[in-house]
Amino acid sequence: MDLVLSGFKQAFLLIIRLDRELLRIILLSLKVSAAALFIAAVFGVPLGAVVGLRRFPLRGAAVSLMNTMMGLPPVVVGLFLYILLSRSGPLGFMGLLYTPSAMVIAQSVLAFPIVASLSHSAVMGVDPVIRQAALTLGATPFQAAIAVLNEARYGVMSAVIAAFGRLMAEVGAILIVGGNIAGLTRVMTTTIALESDKGNFELALALGIILLMISLAVNAVLYLLQRSGGMKRGRSWA
Amino acid sequence: MKPKLLIFSILILSLFVIYSASAETRLRCASTTSTLNSGLFDHILPIFEKKTGIKVDVLAVGTGAAIEIGKRGDADAVLVHAKGLELKAVEQGYFVNRHDVMYNDFVIIGPVEEPVKVKAVRSAAEAFRLIAKAGHPFVSRGDGSGTHIKELSVWLEAAVNPKGAAWYLEAGQGMEKTQRIANEKRAYTLTDRGTWLGTKDRGRLDMIIVLEGDPALFNQYGVMSVNPQRHPHVKHKEAVMFTEWLVSKEGQEAIASFKDKNGNRLFIPNAVLK
Amino acid sequence: MGLRLEASGIHKAYNGNAVLGGCSFSFESGVYALMGTNGCGKSTFLRICALIEDPDMGEVNYYSGALLLEKDIKLRRRITLLLADVGVFNLTVLKNASYGLRIRGMDKNELRQRAESALEFAGLIHKKDHSALTLSSGEARRLGIARAVAVEPEVLFLDEPTAYIDRRNSELIEEMISNMKKETVIIATHDEAQARRLAGRVLSIEGGRLA
Repeated sequence: MDLVLSGFKQAFLLIIRLDRELLRIILLSLKVSAAALFIAAVFGVPLGAVVGLRRFPLRGAAVSLMNTMMGLPPVVVGLFLYILLSRSGPLGFMGLLYTPSAMVIAQSVLAFPIVASLSHSAVMGVDPVIRQAALTLGATPFQAAIAVLNEARYGVMSAVIAAFGRLMAEVGAILIVGGNIAGLTRVMTTTIALESDKGNFELALALGIILLMISLAVNAVLYLLQRSGGMKRGRSWA
Repeated sequence: MKPKLLIFSILILSLFVIYSASAETRLRCASTTSTLNSGLFDHILPIFEKKTGIKVDVLAVGTGAAIEIGKRGDADAVLVHAKGLELKAVEQGYFVNRHDVMYNDFVIIGPVEEPVKVKAVRSAAEAFRLIAKAGHPFVSRGDGSGTHIKELSVWLEAAVNPKGAAWYLEAGQGMEKTQRIANEKRAYTLTDRGTWLGTKDRGRLDMIIVLEGDPALFNQYGVMSVNPQRHPHVKHKEAVMFTEWLVSKEGQEAIASFKDKNGNRLFIPNAVLK
Repeated sequence: MGLRLEASGIHKAYNGNAVLGGCSFSFESGVYALMGTNGCGKSTFLRICALIEDPDMGEVNYYSGALLLEKDIKLRRRITLLLADVGVFNLTVLKNASYGLRIRGMDKNELRQRAESALEFAGLIHKKDHSALTLSSGEARRLGIARAVAVEPEVLFLDEPTAYIDRRNSELIEEMISNMKKETVIIATHDEAQARRLAGRVLSIEGGRLA
């Protein structure tokens, strides 16, 4: 128990002191996750919307695939990307392995199915009458899709934030492709893994607490978003 | 819509920040977790960087993985402690310019109560035979690290094949975790002196050194550069500078002056000075 | 030149259940009422006439004079349908009213003026900055009409505009319909008295056919 207490104490001190190295680690965590999230959202939200709105062959299979991909084991993604990005691999010429860019790629791969699948659910949750109403007012099919997506915006934002939470907490993939290099690819989770490896439980715990606080903040934002968008009428969740 | 635009631009900006990787010269050196955890790099790299302006990024993995990463061309230099493997990889043409840098030694640690009375013997092989005969738990790194390779060579010398035995536990973890597992299981294990000295108090390990000083437990560190003919993209010039500095008088002194926070000297430089 | 609609032999089935079995209809300017009990296919017929759903068989054609018009977005933007279930967007009342103008790429100032005057017409101008989801069902229906008239359609279909709302709102809506600057309005309703009050011509759908 005293370990937990001293962990909290050290976390508090760390936050107050906020030394440069720690700040860099926290910022890199945020930057990598945010960049990955951006990429995942740019591709994932439209995909989720298309799968939710268009009828096409194998649509059911596409939905199942997206849902399955949500559970992609990060270490497998990391390993796969390692092989791809390694100098001896097909994409080795890009020199991306052990750089923050490699971490962004890995995390994009992890976040993409989450964003796509949850966006798909959000779009599916929109009353079909919204699309019809847009069409009756002269919307093109694309504009009608945008109207539906706009209606699902709180759900889509939740999807994006949920993916962000997962990314911030992810360690397996970024450890493999980032290499946990001090000052270059070391982020919060890999630092926690390293420090607990070194037996620096207090520092690891302190970092864990900071990570938790960030997650908490993110979830508070999520909650507020959902509440402000929560004035929904009794829609049929078809 | 304005806040959305703002968030978007921040995100795009952050992308650029990440992609515009710094222009300074960086050298990527694959090494072992135990070397990194000892704090040696934190001591010597700033000295090297100050002198040459080259920033060394250390990739800490197991010895086996470090050599493999070098072979694949994903690092520029490798600093590990498995001389046999290193020489073999040089022979195969993956690396060039290998030099001895320093050494530390391995020790066998066990529970303070010493159930097998290993302290009575002098050689590591004999100690392993005793443990095997008693069937007392022994924790192996089991991760292809230099320590693991050393341990396997001692088993070979002891003419015991522990693989699959119920008392032989393969952790597949770093040295510190392996030590902690041994502590929890009241088992014996082979560890490097640096990790042991650096963690025994902090980790509240209820263990003692039961055998040390056997020449068979000598742990030689070497540095080598990835062969630029095989991987033209590597920073060969910088890797050679790093190697030459490590084996220079200045580099060797830097290693010698490194002490852990308990004031113990962990590495003894032994490069053949030019 | 006003629009003339000709619908001929419209068939439509959902999951094998025939809803419409050969509806034919033609109209030009005026107010028409389409009578029929609930579930008789009025809504389906309106959606097909408004070109947002395709019939299984038969054809809907619009003419300008003798010219057959292509069923493209340009034509669709001359026609509007108010759905029975309005489909209010989760936006402010004003943004709902201006939606049809926004997707037509109208200039912001003009758009605002037109949307506001539509809201005034619907008696909702005092709520323009409220979330549309906070409106009562009667107000939502009025917003639906405002949203539809804001785009100044040449043909306006109204699907059960006063069903399931209170008397006062019904009266307000009937008044709005009577006051519309309109070319053609087709109102689907199950209320015969209302049909006679509002429309010049009354038709009825029975058994999936127009009578």
